Amino acid sequence: MAVMEQHTAARTPLVALLGNPNCGKTALFNRLTGSRQKVANYAGVTIERKEGSFKSPAGRNFRVLDLPGAYSLNAQTPDEGITRDVVAGLRAGETAPDAILCVVNATNLRLNLRLVLELKRLGLPMVLTLNMVDVAKKRGIEIDTAKLSQELGMPVVETVAIQSGGEKALLAELDRMAFTAPVKANPLSAIDAVPVEETQREVRRILAAAVSTTKDTGNLTEKVDNVVLHPVAGPIILAALMFLIFQAVFSWAGTPMDLIEAGVGALGEFVGDLLGDGLLHSLIVDGIIAGVGSVLVFLPQILILFFFILLLEDVGYLPRAAFLLDRIMGSVGLSGRAFLPLLSSFACAIPGVMAARTIQNPRDRLVTIMIAPLMTCSARLPVYALLIAAFIPDQTVAGFLNLKGVVLFILYMAGILSAMAVAWLMKRRSEFKQQALMLELPAYHWPQPGALFSGLWERAKIFLMRVGTLILTMMILLWLLSSFPGAPEGATQPPIYYSVAGIIGRGLEVILAPIGFNWQIAIALVPGMAAREVAVGALGTVYALSGGDEVGDLLAPMIAESWSLATGLALLAWYVYAPHCLPTLATVARETGSRKYAWIMAGYMFGLAYVAAFIVYRVTLAVTGA
Amino acid sequence: MTLAPALSTLDSLKAGQSATVVELAPHAQGGIDIQRRLMELGFVPGERIRVLKRVLKGPLAVKVGESTFALRRFEAALVSIKVD
Repeated sequence: MAVMEQHTAARTPLVALLGNPNCGKTALFNRLTGSRQKVANYAGVTIERKEGSFKSPAGRNFRVLDLPGAYSLNAQTPDEGITRDVVAGLRAGETAPDAILCVVNATNLRLNLRLVLELKRLGLPMVLTLNMVDVAKKRGIEIDTAKLSQELGMPVVETVAIQSGGEKALLAELDRMAFTAPVKANPLSAIDAVPVEETQREVRRILAAAVSTTKDTGNLTEKVDNVVLHPVAGPIILAALMFLIFQAVFSWAGTPMDLIEAGVGALGEFVGDLLGDGLLHSLIVDGIIAGVGSVLVFLPQILILFFFILLLEDVGYLPRAAFLLDRIMGSVGLSGRAFLPLLSSFACAIPGVMAARTIQNPRDRLVTIMIAPLMTCSARLPVYALLIAAFIPDQTVAGFLNLKGVVLFILYMAGILSAMAVAWLMKRRSEFKQQALMLELPAYHWPQPGALFSGLWERAKIFLMRVGTLILTMMILLWLLSSFPGAPEGATQPPIYYSVAGIIGRGLEVILAPIGFNWQIAIALVPGMAAREVAVGALGTVYALSGGDEVGDLLAPMIAESWSLATGLALLAWYVYAPHCLPTLATVARETGSRKYAWIMAGYMFGLAYVAAFIVYRVTLAVTGA
Repeated sequence: MTLAPALSTLDSLKAGQSATVVELAPHAQGGIDIQRRLMELGFVPGERIRVLKRVLKGPLAVKVGESTFALRRFEAALVSIKVD
């Protein structure tokens, strides 16, 4: 169909969505394009570039670009720099847009309109999109769109991006526009032709002419903030929320995990019977199903964690958390902007390291990059969950807390506190300078189930892709190394002991024995360099190849039986620190422009891991009297 | 008793207090023109502002227009105000 369309329309116009952060721009982009999106990076930088296409009711095709949110074209961050350069047609490799769809939050025109006036000076065709008009109406904000359109000298349409059909007026307006020859933007110096103060006065004049507030509904956001940002209640709520999340990760995931485990076990048995005994049986059942299955089982826990992160992001709580934690960040010399990169590192350190690009000061950026992998990424969760299930009893502490959840909370805190300590050590030598914050605390809004669901689906896809590609590959590789050469005549140990992997594992055991790791763990740590959760799959394979041979034997009880408590806890401590993730190290080398920092990172993290595991191992041995 | 308005800077306001912006001190650091950005966010002379909350020895949540911004204390200190 798309092919047929091409010779009717000579040119597909490119429209760019531009607006302040928190104006609902991305929701509008999703509403317009549905699933017809391409997500990539802008050439040469790691800033996300989202392009999509859609068809208007009149049958015209459009391409649409979702530009990074910006408060001003006088860019202060790399994100804003991209936005400025693309609209001005100055960015190499990007076509200048035919029209700018300037998206504004109808409930906050005071802030949003200034950017509109600034943009207007570039002289490009523009449409003003009053988004969230439904919320504005509910709050008693009456906007005279005809008057506003007259004052601004551009078409004004109303949209509700979160509602099906809420983009109708915008589409109709686009159909009225003629896209003949592309318009060249005025030079950027046009923006500075009018001082900021004067632009702000103009905003106030336009608001007085076109907007009236008919009723005072009170400010719900402020009422909520009175509690959420309260000096005493605020931090307690934050801590309680984090605690609740870790409790939920354990208490809600039980049933789906049991189902996946049972499914994997049944599949192993079924395929095993089908294949009979032999090498193929070993590869498929012990190598692939046992290995991949033991990672797959953690999908429910990862989804529960992301459910909460996405929910808190959606309602607008995350900037509040940044506000409450800013003092701590500042006290170790971190920039206020470091909060978001560090927070994304809880999902994965790679986007976290990349997001550090929004930090201007090079020293600050380096410190943020160096500590980002200490935040507990979601790949650690399978490792933690396995070890906690195996070694921490299902016990209630302090009357209502699940001990497993408490241990998980401690592990997350250990990562955070260590990161703070490392940041402080790194910053101690440099001249102490305060860094900027200027963070907007947007109005709260109800979560959008649709957006939440698609976010979760995205995470599930990413996880399953990893399981299907990286982890599967590593499992097959590990199986090969663990199966050959076979056991010699009269062997007393399982065959894996004599294999290549066994030889490597026994070699590493010399170094790792002081911290309580046996050769099976040593084997798992080697492929585990590819990604943290690979170690779980690797243990699954190693124990399937060396142990009882009962198909569907569960990994957690197996390791609980064969390791001491001290070993289990030491491995937990190891994983708080150890940089078992080559992609992160590669990203650090790329982002810092030198391998030096990747090596320093690997060195300091392995060092901390060894020391922490050693202490935990020795202390636990002493306490348990073993 | 004097009724002359007290001149001070935003970082000295307590939670719940309102004021009017008088002027902004220039401050550029690490490539960020903080003075200009604050003005772009709405902190322009004559604008009414209010401190919603503040963290002890930490940032302030300041209401300006319809928006709320978290400012570190050194940023707030750039804003000269007239307390109501």
